[in-house]
Amino acid sequence: MPVVGAFCVTVFRDRCINARMSGKCATCVEVCQYDVFAIDSEGQVAVQNFNACVGCRICAEFCPEDAIRINPAESEFLVRSPWTFPQVEEIHYKAQTGEYMLRGFGAMGFAPIFDHITVVPSQIASPAPRDKYREECKLEVVIGEDTCDHPIRLQYPLFFAAMSFGAVSREARMALAIGAAQTGIISNTGEGGLLKDETWLIKGYENEERTLKRWEPGGYLVVQWSTGRWGVSADYVRAGDAVEIKIGQGAKPGMGGHLLGVKVTEEIAAVRGIPVGSDALSPCRYYDVQDLEDMKRMVAFLRDVTDYKVPILFKLGPSRPYEDVKACVEAGADTISIDGLVGGTGCSPAVVTQGVGIPTVALIPPAVRALKDMGVHRKVKLFVLGGIRNGLDAFKAMAMGADGVGFGTAAEIAMGCRACMACHTGRCPYGITSQDPELRARLDPEEAGQRLANFIKATAEEIKILTMLSGHDDIKDLSEEELRALDLDTAAITGLKLVGYERRLPMWEQMEMARG
Amino acid sequence: MPRVLNAKDKDLRAVSAEIKGMISESKVIIENATHLHGLCGGLKGGDITIEGNSGDYLGVLNDGALIRVRGHAGKYLADNMTRGTVLVEGDADYGAAQYCYGGTVVIRGNAGDFTATMNKGATILIGGDVGDEAATYMLSGDVIIVGNAGSNLGNYLLRGNIYLGGEAASLGHNCKLEDLNDEDVQKLLGYFKKYEIAADAKRFRKISPISSKPFYSKEKK
Repeated sequence: MPVVGAFCVTVFRDRCINARMSGKCATCVEVCQYDVFAIDSEGQVAVQNFNACVGCRICAEFCPEDAIRINPAESEFLVRSPWTFPQVEEIHYKAQTGEYMLRGFGAMGFAPIFDHITVVPSQIASPAPRDKYREECKLEVVIGEDTCDHPIRLQYPLFFAAMSFGAVSREARMALAIGAAQTGIISNTGEGGLLKDETWLIKGYENEERTLKRWEPGGYLVVQWSTGRWGVSADYVRAGDAVEIKIGQGAKPGMGGHLLGVKVTEEIAAVRGIPVGSDALSPCRYYDVQDLEDMKRMVAFLRDVTDYKVPILFKLGPSRPYEDVKACVEAGADTISIDGLVGGTGCSPAVVTQGVGIPTVALIPPAVRALKDMGVHRKVKLFVLGGIRNGLDAFKAMAMGADGVGFGTAAEIAMGCRACMACHTGRCPYGITSQDPELRARLDPEEAGQRLANFIKATAEEIKILTMLSGHDDIKDLSEEELRALDLDTAAITGLKLVGYERRLPMWEQMEMARG
Repeated sequence: MPRVLNAKDKDLRAVSAEIKGMISESKVIIENATHLHGLCGGLKGGDITIEGNSGDYLGVLNDGALIRVRGHAGKYLADNMTRGTVLVEGDADYGAAQYCYGGTVVIRGNAGDFTATMNKGATILIGGDVGDEAATYMLSGDVIIVGNAGSNLGNYLLRGNIYLGGEAASLGHNCKLEDLNDEDVQKLLGYFKKYEIAADAKRFRKISPISSKPFYSKEKK
């Protein structure tokens, strides 16, 4: 197990029950999945290995006396960078084992993010603001309106990103379905096959017979078609409200899915057709696609097998957004989701997650330009993923030209995740990314589903506020004029007007003129 | 009597609709279908014969149909099949029988590179030679190659059996070559009899995985 070493573990002994009474409590020893705490033969609890702490804070949550504090070793980052303690420990780990690091989550720290963009409200020189409290605002997004019999009508411009059964627990998959059902949005299977329960939960039913409708309005299930093709059959592709062709993802573009053997239980092994305990490593590319013509044929046969009823979506990793988006349109996509550098994962080589790909905020301008050049902007929908945290990020992405955004990491956090980045170990103490029955039992699908629904509704309200204070009553009317870049780098990356300068940078104006 | 469907100048959607209307009533013979890619996708039954050559992705997601090709098959034959049978009288191009969970694919002639990649449980029989990288990352099922195989055969094989009648240019990682046991011989004899393949089962050797955990996770010692 890689040593992370980024946290200081403090136990206040004046509060700790065990410090006062040896042999008592020791809840921290019990709940910690990483052996940070130990109990000796005399029943005394001690911090035996603070380096192993991943910062999940389950010990602090379970401590009955509030005696534990987990704090990041921040000063290390400030005074020793780039030779921070985690960096030193990583080198030691490689030197000891000959292995590189794996981890969950996305790129941390350095990537440009939406925080360097500000929203411009309406005042006197632009259309007056709309009243959020007393006027309506349209948030609906329709996918596949002209291409299939059953288009998707999202109540909000939001969806839950693909998270496979395997990467996350059965309970987490059920929670995502329940959350989507309550908000009229999408839950995506990822590439781990389909749980039977999902098919009725997503429609808001609590029973297989679909006689007990509990959650309105009902959501949409997207089934993913990917390079490992785990659990995929004709029935599987027909079970979805859309089929998503995964080309790549933000956390590990150019690589396939990684599900380590520790999470390949009997149930997951049966779904995926892989030996129990064996790593399920999806291929980095489709063995059954060699060029764009093949991809067009893949789209054609998926439409045919699904009887031309459902939309076909594409998911891209962050590579060459302009060219890749154009290729997706040529292939026949109804929607393109593009996942940025900050996009998360259940497991990936750390160097890939941290250092490969284009930041989310920098993907949007070229992706939108590609759609406009092909005359399909707002027709072929563009969704953006990768580090989207709230309605503010979502609004900025949409004002830059996206039709909506997806939540992966934020959805996990809404379920209860504390971002410890150890999803790959299978020991998620909140039961979200674990397959251990004991840990999974800590996640109540209905409660987590409600939390997800609450998060989506609150986020949608944030989008509504920002849309209306910008003078609009429909998200389709948003434009780059609602935004300003706060610094030169962001203005250069995004083409947004720079605050103070109130114009786009000359290179963007020149490009615009050259394009006519 | 089989019904004949002339696919000339028709697109996939039109031909698919016709097939679906016919298969429950009779056998179907399809003519002039080389230009159609993804034909007979996701069928749950039926008896279909392609006269001449087929396009790419024939029988993709097949879930129960019997599909015959009188000539050669294009790329990605029987892709991601789960049930049913696909029989090709001639050769199959690149990437035949990939991602299959079940069913049987018989190619009487030669098959191209990356045949039977990620086979997850199908029986795949090649009467001639097979190209490079066949049965890559195979997870279950049987692959029988009567002739020779190209390089890297069975690369990162995790489970299942590869039976080889001729020679392989090279074996992939995690593969070991073994002699057949009686059970293997009987299994091959059964296949050869059923599909009328002229081959001597005793001459074959078997390629099996060394470990079911060749990547990050390791076997417990």
